Amino acid sequence: MSKARKYPEFRRKLALGWWLSNRRYTAYMFRELTSFFVMVFSLLYIYQLSVLASRNTAAYNSYLGLLKNPVMVLFSTITLAFCLYHSFTWFYLIGKVQPIKIGKRTTTPVMALAVNTVLMAAVSYGVIRLFLMGGL
Amino acid sequence: MAGSRSVSTAARVHALLWGVFSLGGFISAFLLPVLIYVNNIAYPLGLWPAGATDPTSVLVAQRLSTLFIFVTVAGSLFHGVFRFMSTLPELGLRGGREKLAAAGYAVIGAGIVMMVVYLLALNPSILRLP
Repeated sequence: MSKARKYPEFRRKLALGWWLSNRRYTAYMFRELTSFFVMVFSLLYIYQLSVLASRNTAAYNSYLGLLKNPVMVLFSTITLAFCLYHSFTWFYLIGKVQPIKIGKRTTTPVMALAVNTVLMAAVSYGVIRLFLMGGL
Repeated sequence: MAGSRSVSTAARVHALLWGVFSLGGFISAFLLPVLIYVNNIAYPLGLWPAGATDPTSVLVAQRLSTLFIFVTVAGSLFHGVFRFMSTLPELGLRGGREKLAAAGYAVIGAGIVMMVVYLLALNPSILRLP
């Protein structure tokens, strides 16, 4: 069998701010940028675990003090906002990608968003009650 | 035929990684907000109800909540890094995609391994059968 000929891949060159030209592109990019905050928080949390695991009380108290810094609280609030934006857009996309047929009706993305948001709230409540407040 | 077998393996690995990415997306959508809220907002602002002990210290003391931390942070780390590596070329990063992917997987692997080490150091009994 002869080798398949390789053709050069065509990559359209986009201007740096291409995603600012259109509202939908901007919303898309904000959705993708939620990953930056998810990544940063995960890495910071692993660092917090490392400080806690070092059994150095002074160092851990210092890190907890850093968490109380207004700049850090602001960053955390922005991180939570982006994380929730990821959650809501993810739930909406679930509804778009996998609609469920119930009898003669089919679920809509808004239904998926509503149901999964309620589930997320319930899971969050459960985590706080079960793990952090000693039981349901 | 050997060429098609190697492409098929690469495609399978690629699909597996996207599957893990998708699972990480579910995990970060459902579980990450509460962890960010209790650890980084409620506790620092004094909204935390459990007295002086910070939430992470409470979480690592129990087996099930340690598993919660592992699943949440590992899944979110994979999802975040994977997605961010995919987003960087769209933001204008030209070239070096293979190196970027390798760096991303290195961060994911190192992060998860280190987290396991720290969680075991904090609670060595979590692997023992009840």
